[in-house]
Amino acid sequence: MKKFKFMLTLILLVSGWGAWAQETFPRNDVKDIRTGQYAFTNATIVVDPQTTLQNATLLIKGDKIEQVGANLSVPKGYVTIDLKGKFIYPSLIDMFTNYGLPDVERPTSSPYGGKEQTQSKTKGAYNANEAIKAHYNAADEFTINSKTAEELRKSGFGSVLTTKYDGLARGTSAFVTLSEKNDNTALLRQKAAAQYSFAKGTSSQTYPVSLMGFIAVLRQTHFDAEWFGSQTPRPFADNSLEAWIQNQRLPQVFDAGSWINVLRADKLGDEFGTQYIIKGGGDEYQRINEVKASNAILIEPVNFPDAYDVEDPLDAQNVTLEEMKHWELAPANLAALEKNGINFSITTSGLKKTSDFLPNVRKAIANGLTETTALKALTTTPAQLLKIDNQVGSLKKGMLANFIITSGKLFDDKTIIHQNWVQGESYNIKPLNARDFSGTYNLSINGKSYNLEVTGEAGSHKAKVKINDTTVDAIATFDNDLVTLSFRPEKDSKGSIRLSGWSEGNGWKGKGQLIDGSWVSWTGERTGDAIAQATNKTNNEGAKEELGKVIYPFNGHGYPSLPVTETILIKNATVWTNESEGVLQNTDVLLKDGKIAKIGKNLSDASAKVVDGTGKHLTAGIIDEHSHIGAASVNDVATNSGMVRMGDVLDSEAINIYRALAGGVVAVQVLHGSANPIGGQSAMIKLRWGESPENLKIQGADGFIKFALGENVKRSSNPNSIRFPQTRMGVEQVYVDAFTNAREYEKKWNAYNSLSAKAKPLALKPRRDLADETMLEIVNRKRFITCHSYVQSEINMLMKVAERFDFRVNTFTHILEGYKVADKMFEHGAAGSTFADWWNYKWEVRYAIPYNAAIMQRAGIVTAINSDDAEMGRRLNQEAAKSVKYAGMSEEDALKMVTLNPAKMLHLDGQMGSIKPGKSADVVLWNDHPLSVYAKPLKTIGGKVYFDVEKDKKQNNKALDTERARLIQKMKGAKKSGSPTQHGDGRIQVQFHCDDIMGLETEE
Amino acid sequence: MKKLNYILVLVLIVSHWAIAQKPVPAPPQTKPIALTGGTAHIGNGQIIENALITFDKGKLTNVVDGTTAKIDLSGYEVINATGKQIYPGFILPNSQVGLEEVSAIRAMNDTEEEGDMNPNVRSLISYNADSEYPPTFRFNGVLLAESTPLGGTISGSSSLMEMEGWNWEDAVHSADIGIHINWPLMMKRQFSFATFSFTESPNKEYDNQVSNLEHFFKDAVAYGNQSNKEANLKMEAMQGLFDGTKTLFIHVNKPKEVITSIRTAQRNGVKHITLISGEAALTVADFLKENKIPVILPSTHNLPDRVDDDVDMAYKLPYLLSQAGVMVSLSQDGSLHGARNLGFFAGTAAAYGMSKEDALKTITSNTAKALGVDKRVGTLEVGKDATLFVSEGDALDYRTNVLLHAFISGKHITLPGNQEELYERYSKKYGQK
Repeated sequence: MKKFKFMLTLILLVSGWGAWAQETFPRNDVKDIRTGQYAFTNATIVVDPQTTLQNATLLIKGDKIEQVGANLSVPKGYVTIDLKGKFIYPSLIDMFTNYGLPDVERPTSSPYGGKEQTQSKTKGAYNANEAIKAHYNAADEFTINSKTAEELRKSGFGSVLTTKYDGLARGTSAFVTLSEKNDNTALLRQKAAAQYSFAKGTSSQTYPVSLMGFIAVLRQTHFDAEWFGSQTPRPFADNSLEAWIQNQRLPQVFDAGSWINVLRADKLGDEFGTQYIIKGGGDEYQRINEVKASNAILIEPVNFPDAYDVEDPLDAQNVTLEEMKHWELAPANLAALEKNGINFSITTSGLKKTSDFLPNVRKAIANGLTETTALKALTTTPAQLLKIDNQVGSLKKGMLANFIITSGKLFDDKTIIHQNWVQGESYNIKPLNARDFSGTYNLSINGKSYNLEVTGEAGSHKAKVKINDTTVDAIATFDNDLVTLSFRPEKDSKGSIRLSGWSEGNGWKGKGQLIDGSWVSWTGERTGDAIAQATNKTNNEGAKEELGKVIYPFNGHGYPSLPVTETILIKNATVWTNESEGVLQNTDVLLKDGKIAKIGKNLSDASAKVVDGTGKHLTAGIIDEHSHIGAASVNDVATNSGMVRMGDVLDSEAINIYRALAGGVVAVQVLHGSANPIGGQSAMIKLRWGESPENLKIQGADGFIKFALGENVKRSSNPNSIRFPQTRMGVEQVYVDAFTNAREYEKKWNAYNSLSAKAKPLALKPRRDLADETMLEIVNRKRFITCHSYVQSEINMLMKVAERFDFRVNTFTHILEGYKVADKMFEHGAAGSTFADWWNYKWEVRYAIPYNAAIMQRAGIVTAINSDDAEMGRRLNQEAAKSVKYAGMSEEDALKMVTLNPAKMLHLDGQMGSIKPGKSADVVLWNDHPLSVYAKPLKTIGGKVYFDVEKDKKQNNKALDTERARLIQKMKGAKKSGSPTQHGDGRIQVQFHCDDIMGLETEE
Repeated sequence: MKKLNYILVLVLIVSHWAIAQKPVPAPPQTKPIALTGGTAHIGNGQIIENALITFDKGKLTNVVDGTTAKIDLSGYEVINATGKQIYPGFILPNSQVGLEEVSAIRAMNDTEEEGDMNPNVRSLISYNADSEYPPTFRFNGVLLAESTPLGGTISGSSSLMEMEGWNWEDAVHSADIGIHINWPLMMKRQFSFATFSFTESPNKEYDNQVSNLEHFFKDAVAYGNQSNKEANLKMEAMQGLFDGTKTLFIHVNKPKEVITSIRTAQRNGVKHITLISGEAALTVADFLKENKIPVILPSTHNLPDRVDDDVDMAYKLPYLLSQAGVMVSLSQDGSLHGARNLGFFAGTAAAYGMSKEDALKTITSNTAKALGVDKRVGTLEVGKDATLFVSEGDALDYRTNVLLHAFISGKHITLPGNQEELYERYSKKYGQK
């Protein structure tokens, strides 16, 4: 078999040479060079998406277009192909494929739990990070893949950009045609674009493991390359950086894969002044305004999800509203992009079968995409983006003879592609000149008459024979010259009449065999047109229906519109001010313009919405000092991960944001995990449900960073770990080293910055090191530490290290043995943010006690209760109440531990944490005493009302059920009409704790 | 190095024991005790204001209205509980108490035996009476806990333990009350790096696994009917399921599997079945009601299973199920340290629909029934164990769950433990007390 294939390939290659042999290749025959001159006449020629010529002619010679025009005469020496009634289009371009490149095998074993790989394993003088493969060139590995080429050509493609899907920096992609002649002619441009992604591919190096680490590595590599490139001679060889620098002049393509990653990639590009062309996810309609504002140019898939199988209501529970809505709205994504003026091209990437491509583009058109934009997105747009529009994408003189011949308008449902010409060579798909035999015929066989009806399109006819009142299907093949036909003359016949013949006038003549084997002559005479068939309308039926609304965020608890700022007057409530006024009975609070406007008795405001607070309690909104909700990942693994930023990976769609709001939480510190002595930078967010990731951030908030001590940092749960440090002794050295280096780093830059204007260009600019920069911010008191900590020895140690470098540890978080060193913490000036009653789940928390918060608080330490847990994070008021139970703390002090005190720790107490005029309107209205187990938030207000228990119950839940029910019925309809279906996979979002590397480990 | 670590851990443990102030187990009740004037929450929904409760030799002798009852209290130790609340001891089902200590350290855990079908493995043998957990449990009113092995398809036999005792024989309340099985799942859950979420795919082994399990039950029934048989410890351990002396605890949280598992057990003559499940129970509540299957739920302090679920689903699940006619009790899932909050799990159920007395049932009488020990514990009724406590106020709410007295089978136990000792020590260090 293998040998056979080999032979076949050889034959193909040899026949290819016949036409235009490569100059330098050896010959094994007499010279056989033909010019390949063709004239395509009488066609409707779509020169480019804007220009269509009727009754026009296309002349090609060799692999190039010679002329296109309406009134061209065909010169002598051309093969003329009459295309009356046919269309010619420039062939399509897919700018996101790995055509002709080897598949990438990702490491299957999990890198976690084993021995860490701290260095790159790439042999040779390449980048220090294995995932930076900027030196790779797809052109070096590209070779024709006939099977894929054929699939793509059948869908109308003539050329593609091809990329190896491996690495954060994937090197360059090549631009190739789908010719099967030979690799040398198919490869049009070696380095067509530079490629990047959010996936580390085959790299087995441990760092980075997380999305925020991927971003950090790309960011650092950018600065490394800048520094490296500024030096001649180079300080050392780095083939990857060298290539990275070279690749900057190319179009920059980023594989993002979802709207949220599109925004992340675009933001990263903005930092370097690079506008990436970004591969999206087909879900951009979910945040169309933000995507539009990014100005990103997109590459969009058309891999619309199959309907879910929802027959069994129990199985249907496994399908989320998000999945159902995406099923309905995905085909309308491209129309939304077009409507918003977003430039995009379309790719086959992500399709299960390439043959789904054209039907899906047509589905997008049925959902509002214009045909012109669709064609642009498949021809001129990719060509222009890749700066190869002088060769492909339209039909103009001198350009490549890359075009398709179709039976009609390309995006009509019935249109078929007859031929796909690549570089002047024809690849037949469906016969061009298939004769239309549809009609009714009188078959005369051995003196007997039968009525034959031929239906369907030329090239794919079906036939039926009518005998008296019954109709039987006939097996028939129609060739322009020959015909084969067999059918059972009667229903209960033991066999068939078998006929073979040739066309004659409007019908046929021929020989045949009856059931008994006797030979007869037969004729078929055309008697009339076929009866018009009812066309299959199922495809378009769905499109006419009104589509569901986009909701923000795009999940079961999203709303069709965002909350607005209201003036709200809460009357006659018990108000916990957290100020010297204490708890005020029967008091009114006015919220206006997102601020607390007034507190007092008998307040009024004509414009205010009045809320009766009788019997209810109003407190400041809860603030969680230690949270991991609203982040796409939590831990990276470099010992010093100070360059990693949680703000890069915020996830506005995380359901736990809404659940926390329902528990009275208005703001959280999104912390990096505790896998490393120096973790990543925090993001300070307000829980603005429905807003985009960027809009969650608290503008102007101080920068914080996660540090961690103890068992997680020394990788106690991984017996194979070799990563430094393995002991608390080593942990101290990590810090001393980091801060010492930070000072050295500062000196280097100070020296450089103090050079004269003349001297500067001659001097070597120091390398920007994002980890060192972060450390320097800390020692210069511009960034503040929240340190995960448990046992007293290490708490004491970090305070001593900080004092040695003349700064203070802002907060010890978890701090379960804070009670043992409370006096030292107070003296140092550190705050303590702890669990209420967690203990004993690992050795370092054996001596944690539920009295810890009270002892610290009584020692004068600013003390908070935190969650580190999405579940507990929505009951922090209850966790605070435990200090009342165990240690008799006053109720006001207890409530401050989840409101004002965390605000102080996060340097946000100027705007949040208490009910005081001028502060942000961040308040919670409770139905009961806020420290009671029976208390429920009725409203959680963070400037605007982000949670309202009535709205949640009556509108949100009901709307959710109604929308689910509507979509379930619609999916059942889709299944009935034959659309493929898939089973719900019971997808749930990952809940993060600070130990988690990829959401697989649990516990703190 | 590893060995060294191990030694280090041992040394640490030993040195810790030397300083720990674990309360000394109380002696048996020697004299009748009377609690007067308190509000008694019986555990069956009833409340008696100004109650008079007496107990002797570890058993309740009177639970009456003190305003009308005339009982001669001479010779009694009388405790005035006026203004206080009296509750039956909370019961924690389905826990690893005594088996799990510091969960991250393998040597400190005895929860899972090797093998797939281990009905003969008995939790009380591993029960560590010196565990640091019980003092923290009873400090908040949890006076009884089921010690339950984990792992395999049939994990083993559980026992109900009193949160007091010198050793496991001393601490055991009811030995080998039931067998725990983990029903196989039709869908397997795995983590997908591509979508960064957990997804499910069909478990191709499901039918085989179910048929193996049913086979095991059928063999056990047949074994019980054989007159001449070769002794088989596993088959022997199963017999209690068929004569009604043991409960079958089925762990499963998918609706279809709930039905299949219960039908399978019933078909094979299992007399008492208790389901350990979560939101799935709600979907098949009618089936559970008709078959009178009690359900042990996880803590109410949980997130909803699904994104689309109501945000308060875990909070109101006990209410919704009990409204549907299913008897519900609450447990702790996850790390054992959280089990001391059992009363507050019930408090949350009360905040989200249940009456406080019904919520109390979910950690007392309902649990006793689900475990098959309701003849002795779960309510304050004459003849039952004197396992009860006196609280400053509402024991289901944080600020008022402050225990003044607790009795386990009449033994007046010491409430402060190691954590209270550390509180004392450091409060004194800083001059806070």
